Amino acid sequence: MTSQTTLLDPTAELMPVERQLLPRLSELAGATIGLLDISKPRGKEFLDEIEKHLLKLGARVKRYTKPTFARVAPTELSQQISVECDAVIEGLAD
Amino acid sequence: MNLESRGIPAGFIASREFVEAAAAQGKSLGIKPASVFVPHPIQDRTDAEMVQLAQDAVDAVTELVCKQQKES
Amino acid sequence: MLASQLDNNLTVYVQDDPTFPASISHRIDDTSLEFSYRNAIEIVPTLIRLKNDSENESRIFGWDKQQWQEFTGIENLGAELIDFKPGCGSKTQDPGMDELLALKYGNQQFSARRVDLAESEDIMEACFERGWSDGLPVVPPTTVRVMRMLSGTDRNADEMLGNIPPDNIPCTIEKLAINAVMAGCKPEYFPVVIASVEAALQDRFCMHGLLCTTYFSAPVMVINGPVSKQIGMNSGVNALGQGNRANATIGRALQLVVRNVGGGIPGGIDRATMGNPGKYSYCFAEDESDSNWNSLAMDRGYERGDSVISLFAGGGLQAIIDQQSREPESLAKSMAASLRGVAHTKLFGMVDAILVISPEHRRIYREGGWSKADVKQALYEELMTPGTELVRGANDIAEGMPEKFRDIVLNKFQEDGLHIVSAGGTAGMFSAIIDGWAASGSLGSQIVSQKIL
Repeated sequence: MTSQTTLLDPTAELMPVERQLLPRLSELAGATIGLLDISKPRGKEFLDEIEKHLLKLGARVKRYTKPTFARVAPTELSQQISVECDAVIEGLAD
Repeated sequence: MNLESRGIPAGFIASREFVEAAAAQGKSLGIKPASVFVPHPIQDRTDAEMVQLAQDAVDAVTELVCKQQKES
Repeated sequence: MLASQLDNNLTVYVQDDPTFPASISHRIDDTSLEFSYRNAIEIVPTLIRLKNDSENESRIFGWDKQQWQEFTGIENLGAELIDFKPGCGSKTQDPGMDELLALKYGNQQFSARRVDLAESEDIMEACFERGWSDGLPVVPPTTVRVMRMLSGTDRNADEMLGNIPPDNIPCTIEKLAINAVMAGCKPEYFPVVIASVEAALQDRFCMHGLLCTTYFSAPVMVINGPVSKQIGMNSGVNALGQGNRANATIGRALQLVVRNVGGGIPGGIDRATMGNPGKYSYCFAEDESDSNWNSLAMDRGYERGDSVISLFAGGGLQAIIDQQSREPESLAKSMAASLRGVAHTKLFGMVDAILVISPEHRRIYREGGWSKADVKQALYEELMTPGTELVRGANDIAEGMPEKFRDIVLNKFQEDGLHIVSAGGTAGMFSAIIDGWAASGSLGSQIVSQKIL
């Protein structure tokens, strides 16, 4: 049973109440971008092209693959990506 | 979202089939992941078509993780 | 019988079983307790007589046959019943119902913004994900919990306490209550939490500077007076350690306010090189079982019967072992020797400290006929040191006092820089030192005290 939970804001209320994403990187040059292939067909070809583009922009790229598209990435894989990369792009879901 | 929780900006790419599912999941989680949607279908495309799809999406995909960049 | 006598001018509101009493048709289901709440029902049964449709009412409660007969004017009302039964508490008086009903039907307004969680958000994770936590789980601040916390004080929820550094954000009693809930405080701790914030906001405490420091220090709280027993604080075994809810959560509440309201976050304004574990919470009650020994609050001018919180910028704990001294003179020299080590053995007049004397060590002083004042005097004398030993380069140590102090005799602690409290279990000939901030003194932080009301 889920019902809506309302909490009272303990903060100075300077930030929007909706949860925010992390700020994006300010520049690509020198950053390590992870490309996580979720293992659906044709995803690799798509990400290959993305990788070419990111390399041209001066980023480093690391490639990762989910063992199966059906489940979320295993913890170890997520940990590895978070340690090795400055940002990550996941694809290609269809 | 798991990777955002681990402190690195994250985004995902999906075909347009996923637009509604992604919106629903965002609502359920309370936060909308950074996303780019590309035209469906995907699975029966040729290599050349995939390259073209990627090239069309490349700026949007870059912005998933980085503020607007110019090609050097 | 009452119903038939009054011909349908009787309405029965039922709190528990809406089908009771079966014989009465004009009965209203008040299982939601809305009517009972709005009409301040405390005992059931309550018989309310309304004149001219509700303008003037009078009421009786419980069952007193004679009283009911007089009240209703029905002479033989309940003749077959017993004469008297006191009645039961209304369900509106059940524990916790007050706040729930006030929230539902009362005028409770909150100024704080509402944060609606998404349906699949785990409540505990939600607090972590929003950055509200100090690393440990917080109690999610629901409206009911905040209401209950506010009931712990008579002060108005919208009373402004002051601006919380480093961002200088105005903080009301309500905002403080939200953070006190998250810290895990009970409502009865709330007056102490309020006093801790008021103490922290005293100019003399220099909270802003303390937040920005690279040094280890953070607020350390010592509680004196009757309040500490009333709310079950620990002044004995493991007093400076874990395990006591009041000690743990009162210390934590101030830290959460600084984080969430003031914006003081490690990695941001808080650039402490190492920090110290007391930044989660560092709060304990003084052992005041010895009526011949002045408490810290009494040293600072309060009466023994006052409940007082003292706030000290400090951290960590340095052990003093002395299992050999049987005379007060020896014990004082022992403690002085350890006190030399505060911050650096060659830095004098710079860093304040709290000396925490255990019951066993206090006993040595007491048996030797020494008062607390005698201890203070002995430590003072023992810590007088010629500048030649302390200046930079002395003993081949580059650190130390500037050259200009070479020909002066210095004391380890500046005026009002060494504070003495007593705490701890009765077994263990160990005392301890809580050392202070590198910016102690009139240009930095000094100990402050605040009465707990």
